[in-house]
Amino acid sequence: MFRFIVRRLIGAAVIMLIISAVTFFLFYAIPRDPARAFCGKICSPTNLELIRHNLGMDDPLFVQYWHWLTGIFTGRDLVQFGACAAPCLGYSFATQEPVFAAILDRFPVTVSVTIGAAVVILSFGIITGMIAAWQQGKPLDKIASTSSVIGASLQIYFVGPLVVFFVVDSMGLLPRPSYIPFTENPAGWFVHLLIPWVVLSIIFTANYTRMTRSVMVEQLAEDYVRTARAKGMSGRTVFLRFAWRGAMIPIVTIFGVDLATLLGGTIITEQTFTLHGIGELAVRAVQNTDLPMLLGVTLVGAFAIVILNIVVDLLYAVIDPRVRLG
Amino acid sequence: MTTVTWDREPATPRGPGTFLSVRDLSVEFSTEDGVVHAVDSLSFDLQKGTTLGIVGESGSGKSVSNLAILGLHDPAYTKLGGEIWLEDQDLLRAGRSTMERLRGNRIAMIFQDPLTSLSPYHTVGRQISEVYRKHKGASRAEARARAVEMLERVGIPHARTRVDDYPHQFSGGMRQRVMIAMALVCDPDLLIADEPTTALDVTVQAQILDLLKDLQQQFGTSIILITHDLGVVATTAHNVLVMYAGRAVEQGTTHEVLREPRHPYTWGLLGSMPKLTSNVDLPLLPVRGTPPSLLNPPPGCPFHPRCDHRRLVGGDACATERPELSPAEGHRDACYLTLAQKRETFDGKIKERL
Amino acid sequence: MTVSRRRATAAAAILTAGALALAGCAKGGGGGPAATGSSGGAATPTKPLENKAVSSITVGTAADSTGPATPVPGAKPGGTVNMIDRDDFSHLDPARVYLNYNATASSLFTRQLTGYRRGADGIKLVGDLATDTGTTTDGGKTWTFTLKDGLKWQDGTPITSADIKYSVERLYAPFITEGPTYLQQWLVKGDYRKAYEGPYNGKSLDAVETPDDKTVVFHLQDPHPDLNFTLAMTGYGAVPKAQDTKEKYDKKPFSSGPYQIVSHVTDKSLDLERNPNWDPKTDPIRNAYPEKWHMEFGVQAQNSTERFLADSGADKTAMTFHNAVAAERVQEVLGNAEAMKRSIQGLTPFTTFYNLNTKRLTDVKVRQAITKAWPAKQLQLISGGEVNTGKIATTVMSPTVLGYEPFDLYGVLAKPNGDPEAAKALLKEAGQPNPTVVYAYNQTPTQEKITVAIKDALTKAGFNVVAKPLNPATFYDAIGPVDNKYDIYWGGWAADWPTGSTAIQPLFDGRLIADNASNYSHLNVPEINDAIDAANKITDAAEAGKAWAAVDKKIMEQAAIVPEYYQTYFGLYGSGLGGVEFDPIQGEQSPLNVYVK
Repeated sequence: MFRFIVRRLIGAAVIMLIISAVTFFLFYAIPRDPARAFCGKICSPTNLELIRHNLGMDDPLFVQYWHWLTGIFTGRDLVQFGACAAPCLGYSFATQEPVFAAILDRFPVTVSVTIGAAVVILSFGIITGMIAAWQQGKPLDKIASTSSVIGASLQIYFVGPLVVFFVVDSMGLLPRPSYIPFTENPAGWFVHLLIPWVVLSIIFTANYTRMTRSVMVEQLAEDYVRTARAKGMSGRTVFLRFAWRGAMIPIVTIFGVDLATLLGGTIITEQTFTLHGIGELAVRAVQNTDLPMLLGVTLVGAFAIVILNIVVDLLYAVIDPRVRLG
Repeated sequence: MTTVTWDREPATPRGPGTFLSVRDLSVEFSTEDGVVHAVDSLSFDLQKGTTLGIVGESGSGKSVSNLAILGLHDPAYTKLGGEIWLEDQDLLRAGRSTMERLRGNRIAMIFQDPLTSLSPYHTVGRQISEVYRKHKGASRAEARARAVEMLERVGIPHARTRVDDYPHQFSGGMRQRVMIAMALVCDPDLLIADEPTTALDVTVQAQILDLLKDLQQQFGTSIILITHDLGVVATTAHNVLVMYAGRAVEQGTTHEVLREPRHPYTWGLLGSMPKLTSNVDLPLLPVRGTPPSLLNPPPGCPFHPRCDHRRLVGGDACATERPELSPAEGHRDACYLTLAQKRETFDGKIKERL
Repeated sequence: MTVSRRRATAAAAILTAGALALAGCAKGGGGGPAATGSSGGAATPTKPLENKAVSSITVGTAADSTGPATPVPGAKPGGTVNMIDRDDFSHLDPARVYLNYNATASSLFTRQLTGYRRGADGIKLVGDLATDTGTTTDGGKTWTFTLKDGLKWQDGTPITSADIKYSVERLYAPFITEGPTYLQQWLVKGDYRKAYEGPYNGKSLDAVETPDDKTVVFHLQDPHPDLNFTLAMTGYGAVPKAQDTKEKYDKKPFSSGPYQIVSHVTDKSLDLERNPNWDPKTDPIRNAYPEKWHMEFGVQAQNSTERFLADSGADKTAMTFHNAVAAERVQEVLGNAEAMKRSIQGLTPFTTFYNLNTKRLTDVKVRQAITKAWPAKQLQLISGGEVNTGKIATTVMSPTVLGYEPFDLYGVLAKPNGDPEAAKALLKEAGQPNPTVVYAYNQTPTQEKITVAIKDALTKAGFNVVAKPLNPATFYDAIGPVDNKYDIYWGGWAADWPTGSTAIQPLFDGRLIADNASNYSHLNVPEINDAIDAANKITDAAEAGKAWAAVDKKIMEQAAIVPEYYQTYFGLYGSGLGGVEFDPIQGEQSPLNVYVK
């Protein structure tokens, strides 16, 4: 187990290194000069040259990458922005704030949106999926299946403003979505994020309903489930202890992927509800050709994916004793 | 000793010692293509402490009829008819919780493939002990001790440590022993073994069958042994029921059915079984054709499209009217051939090739 | 000042579709507040957008420069105004402020020597920190400003001439690269980067003198009669030496204005509270009625439009500086009489045009033929009509520039869809009935449609049009080189202050042609260059305005550009606010006279 984790973490570091290098060098494949963003409207060549020097852009590409990379561990000193302590991911070209601080600052927002939505998605999706599987072919199954198709075809940017309009503007039941740190005011955190969670869940829950239903139906046809019934286990035990155990593996797999995607930034959700998370950073970084920020958010996304992959693999081992970590 | 009675009257009181009595059982599945008549008018009795072998091809209704005894069909798609009496209780009309109390407790089942039939996610100890806890209300510790005891009884070495292993950590034969331990943990009165040795290699097969026999002698368990292997029946069963297309075509003691088989299908089954002593140059005599569709069973004798002996009957009775089991008692079969014709054909043409 | 380029580029396209779909629901469903009032199609006010031109701009007197600002009738002090906008202010260190929305925010806490006062008699350039708009005795080479009495920083220390000198000196520091560079260049010989390195190593700049605590004297290398306009730019705002945190100053500048920064969370929020040391009697420009400001960022135009229409809760007292009504909601808003009462319209200093590359299209007749054949009205319709674009332009200078004169040399307004016959005639005169022209454009869906329309119109006049799509991300890099291979390409400009010297000179002075320089049409006509120099020397603002209008006409005769639009702004605010005005200098909503009802 320990060796597995160590080995996977080393692998993760290598992947992140490759991703950062690819992003870095691809960025420079775009024929656009980021230095011009720092140059006034009437941009003199001396000014441009100065900015390139300030940003360290007059060094060869691989030297720049090396500086960026070592900055993560040792910190850097940048003329344009001042000192940048380790872990230094550089300063945003667009907002001139330290990338690491920006990400650290926004991560709780994205995590809050993600975790809350994940709880709703998992509980609702799995419960409705289970009900549908339990009531296979009966009205409840049909209701669950139909509503999941409808849910899956809805879009956040459509449902989101609609819900805000009715719940916030018209009825005044909930405050306008925003982020309040959990540590400051847990209740406020909850009520202000409720709408994003629910809206995000409407779309994702549907997937989990359908998936849970189909894997449960599959599992219920398994020989060992029949054995359990032949042993006299009650319907509920068979359903929850036996069939569900097998159904968890595909669900955990998909959930790991979805969670990583959400942690990498719930771009549309954040824009719809004006939440300042990683997704917003990512969009801005792309719009502004903001290399340091782009690298930062890319790495956060990659980090979420590789870490969750490891977690999913560990979970496999917990769920299924046949899985060997090694 | 053992008798198999062929009474077709459901209300007839069952003879003394009759433990399980299946009367006129029919099982129909509704599918998208229509209704499948998986079991049709099946009746048999089982005495305490005896073994009934049920043989037939795949899809002949062997397994389905036994799943009906346990009530394991999906009620949404299955229609059951007839009666299944376990002592004085009709299982077909028993409630869900009654059936849950019976399953694993008084009636237990062993499945064909122990790899897929055991939960891969739980230790064998847990899978065994949960049955005991459920039915006997035992504590965790008691149930665990019982599981170890059962594993020892079915011959698993180091049972005390292996109780915490998972099914995938056992070999095929050992896994089937686990299945048996699990089936027997509550000392059931009836054990249904559905092809318990098919997935195992031959040497292990023999061990498992011996184990079943030993346990039967020790505890007086009644066994229904479902198999397509007449060899297994010969060594294990007291009585034999041959099924074809959801119906019984021949019944009798093992000795009767194997020594003097009467139904052409039984001949076919015997003919398709190789023997070490037979001449290697002689080809086997498999039953030609394929089993009939149970969606639209052929009219008359369901075996008639595959039967080589129809011309002996004369007329087209075989193709139009269904032959009933006869005689009423003892060794009986469902075929229009006369007893003399059957004896003559078997002795003259079939026996030499077996 | 510069207008952010973001409005010219498409907003985050991913969100557009959904907001469109929602448009019907929010208005029709549930009888929400947005649906009140007569909003039927028949009652739609169809009056054209007001042309809030500031050609009435004048230079004010010392009396005009005394505080307090002209009061707004019915206004009362107190309360909190919420401001919602898409982007955080990218810079707040005055030296690094160039974009208009940064400048608008800065006006709440940063003061310059001069500024623009709005009153009943139009807009006047007045002294802000200075007692008047400065004096020059040698045609604009030496300028003297005197500071008012009672000026204080937010900590109560007085604002002195030394602070002003220091603020100028730090403009030369290596990390100050984003702001305007006029003053820096004018004060020294040669490349200003090499002439002086800034105050951080103890060196001072001799060209700025402070004979006493109240007096600042600028010694320019050449005469610049409109330096007083230049100094009104936020880029020349005051920074106190004692509080200068260099790179970090950008996030939290020290206030000389009516508010001070309480907190600034990048990309999220900016909170301001009253600066107790600001004395309204020293300030002719800012009424500053509210007690507090709460600014929230990351609100897309679709969202802010939605919220202003809903007008509920805290949004009742909300405004925006920069967010316009989302393009797809414009028609709905125009039809909503109640919302229209809370709308702001006006002409921004931003003009757009199509550069005609005079290095390749050397024959003026050919360029004139293009202008003649141009389907201006059709292009405007494709882009969403006047409200989403602006008024069709016929001059270089915007109506917001001092001295603007309306003229239409090519009869564009008479024949807004082009005059192919007249164009053909011009081509015949030129002896090139079928010239080939290369049109380079941003490859976006709208631009694709526009390109088709341009191609059709020019082809009708006899041109052979080659359309060359460019990646929007690198558009300016592609058209930047002087020897680029394109004949026609889009461009935009906003004057840094409302005189011809920044509206015209950077674009059409032939001596400024260089790679990536702003003279994208590469026009180099000695007569025009001389006229520019002459206009630059005129000290009387009104006279100078006339001279610039004449230069404008000369450029249009050369057909160096096909003017496209004088860009308009159309925005909303909450019903709980009064005194929300359009600021034609910045081209967006002004915070200075706002009050909470």
